[in-house]
Amino acid sequence: MNGEIETQINLKPSEMLLHLGPQHPLQPGPFLLDLVLEGETVKDATLEMGFIHKGIEKILENRTYLQCIPITDRMCYLASISNNEVFCSGVESLMGIEPTERAKYIRTIMLELTRIQSHLLGIGEYATDIGFLSMFLWMIREREPIISLLEMVTGARLNHSFVRFGGVAYDLPAGFKEKTLRTLNEIRKKVEKHDEIMSRDSVYLKRTKGVGVLSRKAAMELGVAGPAMRGSGVDYDIRKVDPYLLYPDLDFKVITAPNGDVFDRVKVRLSEILESIYIIEQCIDMIPGGPFKQGYNPYLIKPKPGEVYSRVEDPRGEMGMYIVSDGTFKPYRVKVRGPAFATMQALPPLLKGAYMADNAAIASSMDSCTSEVDR
Amino acid sequence: MNTTGELTLNMLKEKFQVTEMRVESPNRVWARIAPDKILAIAKFLSNELEFDHLSSIAGADYGEALEAVYQITAYSHGIVLTLKAKVPKSNPVIDSLTPVYWNAAWYEREAYELLGISFRGNPNLAPLVLPAEMMGEYPLRKDYKGYPNPT
Amino acid sequence: MDYIQLAFDLLGNPWIRGVVGLIVVGVIFFSAIVMVWLERKFLGDIQTRPGPNRVGGRFGLLQLVADAIKLFTKEDIVPENADKPVHAGGPIVALTSAFLMAVAVPYGVVSFEGSEYLLAVTTMDISALYVEAVAAVSIIALFMAGWGSNNKYSLLGAFRNIARMLGYEVPLGLAVLSVAVMAQSLDFVQIVSRQEQLAWFIFMQPLGFIVFGVALLADLGRIPFDQIEAEEELIAGVFTEYSSMRWGFAFFAEYLHAIVGACLVVILFLGGWSGLPFLGTLFIPPVLWFVGKVFVVIMVMIWIRGALPRVRIDQVTDLGWKVLFPYSLINLVWAAAVAMVVS
Repeated sequence: MNGEIETQINLKPSEMLLHLGPQHPLQPGPFLLDLVLEGETVKDATLEMGFIHKGIEKILENRTYLQCIPITDRMCYLASISNNEVFCSGVESLMGIEPTERAKYIRTIMLELTRIQSHLLGIGEYATDIGFLSMFLWMIREREPIISLLEMVTGARLNHSFVRFGGVAYDLPAGFKEKTLRTLNEIRKKVEKHDEIMSRDSVYLKRTKGVGVLSRKAAMELGVAGPAMRGSGVDYDIRKVDPYLLYPDLDFKVITAPNGDVFDRVKVRLSEILESIYIIEQCIDMIPGGPFKQGYNPYLIKPKPGEVYSRVEDPRGEMGMYIVSDGTFKPYRVKVRGPAFATMQALPPLLKGAYMADNAAIASSMDSCTSEVDR
Repeated sequence: MNTTGELTLNMLKEKFQVTEMRVESPNRVWARIAPDKILAIAKFLSNELEFDHLSSIAGADYGEALEAVYQITAYSHGIVLTLKAKVPKSNPVIDSLTPVYWNAAWYEREAYELLGISFRGNPNLAPLVLPAEMMGEYPLRKDYKGYPNPT
Repeated sequence: MDYIQLAFDLLGNPWIRGVVGLIVVGVIFFSAIVMVWLERKFLGDIQTRPGPNRVGGRFGLLQLVADAIKLFTKEDIVPENADKPVHAGGPIVALTSAFLMAVAVPYGVVSFEGSEYLLAVTTMDISALYVEAVAAVSIIALFMAGWGSNNKYSLLGAFRNIARMLGYEVPLGLAVLSVAVMAQSLDFVQIVSRQEQLAWFIFMQPLGFIVFGVALLADLGRIPFDQIEAEEELIAGVFTEYSSMRWGFAFFAEYLHAIVGACLVVILFLGGWSGLPFLGTLFIPPVLWFVGKVFVVIMVMIWIRGALPRVRIDQVTDLGWKVLFPYSLINLVWAAAVAMVVS
């Protein structure tokens, strides 16, 4: 955004200003990372964003509640069910309703499937960024059956718009349970294999161990979210801390890793995939019958005036939405608190002092999503 | 209702003479505070009550006044304390939370450019997501007429 | 005997020599094309994808031809502030270096009526030294490209290249020197015939083979040592500002280097065009032996590329100076000792 930044920074003769972006192979979306380099060492980093600011918060103010749901999808296509969920659960508590029992199960399963596919792609993108192209393609291969499962239920591969107030859009199709169990079994085997590769390959270990260390204290202070936080040893997971849907009754661990380096952040993601598979396997046997949505007209949703802050655990971390209703058909104000936004903010301090070559590893181990940061 | 949330509110009431407050649900408490006390309250919350995580800073336009909305929570428990501070539209200035919560910086920048709430003490209150030439238009205010398409 | 005489007479004619030279250039280019195709297909297999499969039938045989047509018809973009002669010179020097290397490589022997004739563009008694020397020219080529582009990414890539090459030319040279000590010659032909007498040098000095292999991979700039054009760090490194056939030259130079590198591995350590001893009775032409071995070495290179992530640049130089350099010295001592015992 700031064309004059070059003149603002006083560079020493040995230093060089390198603009990473707004278009760069490293990035999941456009942002501008200005690095002051001395040789290969990053002396200073500043981040500029807003290249794809979509004004989603403003758009949401001008849509009815039902129309808002597809818009929330577009914040980040990798976590669209999470985005639906955070909006719908907020509106539900404004309306004072609860999803039906069956819908709770379906939503939990869908959320965990989303987490698996997002983590798979996140690890894959990270692997390309350290030059491990094969791992990326393996991850894409593993992700495909998960996407098919989501497509089987929601009819869409990425932007699902699946969650409704008090329920979900469609019921589970026939044969979903068998297919899911079969797929998850395969994915578990493959993920365990990749985990083995990633914990034994010496070149990979050299590249990631002790790189981009975010201490427990620093992580809490910088307010990073999700796997980046848990990779630093903080067991902060909204599913445990502020549980929603079925999570209070489910048996699962919060995955943490002690060291806070690049290796640990990715390790946390890999283990979370396994944990999510375990969660789905618990749920899928117990899905009760009954209606999958509340029986009222979704077009005439008019919550009482009030405000709510709802939170869910997005694949990337704590996703919050602050919704103000003024008693009309449209929300008065919606504020999105994205996990990628929080994590991205912590990137410049983390890059300071790192090697130029480690930039890629550190930045993509955060698994940020520019689309969601800019909203 | 949840005692922890109520306790927090009572302490705020005692120390900072907060009048308007309510417990919405076990994990959500709400209070309206005077804008000049926000920094003191945040310091108190983070130092003494373990509210060590700033979840979000939002702003909202209520016609005459703007409101800064803080969601303060913790890593160890799930209680989200929503603090609302009303600032007049003619002079929307409030203290920055950056001395207490490092990650307030970007939330404040965003609220600043989208709503025009100015945060006193933020180290770098520059536009974050909007282009510099859109500064002063405040798109999230209710009287915003849409981007006039200056090109 | 008349045929041989006739052939030598014909080769005396400069025109014929020109035609033969062009054929050799064509073969070299063709082998690079084959390698690119192999790499795409084999890498595709590793990464569970089909690889090129549209142009030229099911196996994408003509994909590279299509690529070449694309490269030839693309706009040639030169940055405004580039140092134009240097910018243009980079890929040309790189390609020249690759061809100069290819000149000295013998590909095998042909037996004809009892006498053996060497298949090589030229022979010289210091061919190993010569190849080492012209290979080093490519450092200058990459630096020209990096400096002339007037681009920070290119410059960083060029710096990385110099830092890396300084660390790797030394163990590479020492490994070649060990081979020369053991073969008592710097001539490739002598080296190969010495291996026929003794044993393949991969068995005589395995340490030397490892040092040479790793240093060669680094020299060629292939994954895990492709820091100079690490896409996620430096976009395309030194070749960021190249387009159309200028980039094509650089691309070809890279693959030619890889092929000549594979030839060097085969000649220095894998017995050149000599066959396996236990297959002694089975007749396979020496040229086929040579090509087959080069093929195997190239496949291993591609395999390594598919299996490893990229190493960081400081780790690369560390590896060069702190690991490969001492090992290459140890190997030199070993080679000298063995050579004394054997002779």
